[in-house]
Amino acid sequence: MNPEIKFQYKVTDPELEKASNSYVMSLMAVMVGLPMPIVNLLATLFFYIGNRKQTYFVRWHCMQALLSQASVLIVNSYGFWWSVSIIFTEATISNRYIAFMITAFIFNLTEIILTIYTAVKTRKGEHINWWFYGGLTDLICRK
Amino acid sequence: MKKIIIQGLIMVALFAASLFFMNKVDWVKLFHIEKLTKSADEKINELFLEVFIKDNNELKDSTLSAPIDSILTRICDRNQINRKDIQLHVIESSDVNAFALPGGHLIVFTGLIDFVENESELAGVMGHEIAHIELDHVMKKMGKEIGLSVIINMTAGGGNGEVIREALKTLTSTAFDRELEKDADIMSVEYLSKANIDYKGMSAFMNRLAKEKENLGDHVTILSTHPASDDRAKYILEQGKKRRYEIKPVLSDSTWDAFKTNFKELR
Repeated sequence: MNPEIKFQYKVTDPELEKASNSYVMSLMAVMVGLPMPIVNLLATLFFYIGNRKQTYFVRWHCMQALLSQASVLIVNSYGFWWSVSIIFTEATISNRYIAFMITAFIFNLTEIILTIYTAVKTRKGEHINWWFYGGLTDLICRK
Repeated sequence: MKKIIIQGLIMVALFAASLFFMNKVDWVKLFHIEKLTKSADEKINELFLEVFIKDNNELKDSTLSAPIDSILTRICDRNQINRKDIQLHVIESSDVNAFALPGGHLIVFTGLIDFVENESELAGVMGHEIAHIELDHVMKKMGKEIGLSVIINMTAGGGNGEVIREALKTLTSTAFDRELEKDADIMSVEYLSKANIDYKGMSAFMNRLAKEKENLGDHVTILSTHPASDDRAKYILEQGKKRRYEIKPVLSDSTWDAFKTNFKELR
């Protein structure tokens, strides 16, 4: 989608760069934050706070990146504490644990691929509205 | 708004569905997880024993340790414990101590044998340590106090002697949690009752050891590992009173005397 149709103004090149960077930032946070999932959210949150005085387009994309991180955070935190309990308590590696970890991996991988795709497309001047997260961002992000 | 809620629910349902289908696969079997965990455990156990035996002098003479072995066998047989799962090691040391190492290794110091006055005292201490093994307290303590780093180091690093020595120090000279100690005491009384061994020896041993602590000085390692409180002696006796049973000695008086004499001569 052309961003001008949704945002009703001509989006400049620095805006495209900043919006694209919000996804790159969230991608980096996923990589660094996999062992400690809270890092994902904090990094994207700080990036959003840093850009909260930016234009609507930039804020919108920062918010979409932030929201997508939130659901990954829930899944990864659950997996993280489950792993900790296996290492430090009597809990053992079970079929349920491995099934959850594989599902979480697929979930994370999908998120990473989508994030890269969105970062590239946004930089090229295309507006990517994620399923569910896009609608949620419309509700949260004010013009 | 309604559309977003529906989309959100679909996403959750999608995650739940993939989790459901993933759950249908027997991953543990597929990845040979049990085999891997077992071999890692065995490796840790072997390393611990190897380092411990290297640093201490184990008495290999089976005629010396035969009476202790008889007590151990009686306790195991009467409590449905596989005797082969517990390996007895008698170590030459003046410390009054006994403890369990990972992998079902029951360590008894000659200092303890020297100190005990009868078989029920020795059986009480052994029962307590067997309980720690059977209730898996040793591995719990490893995970909690010694920590993940040591376990990783031992399984992946090929056995760093110093790391294991540090871990051994913790295992042999510090107490388990109060609750774990109590569980082991209660379990020991149960073992003794089923094995027809007098439980009173266990509390008598604690009391006597506390009284003679000053004379023994630094050699009373077992007191630091097993704090002999009044409460503890009390609940051992309370637990024992609940179980009425006939006492049948494992060893004859002459065997016990010969056993004690043998160890005195060794000293």
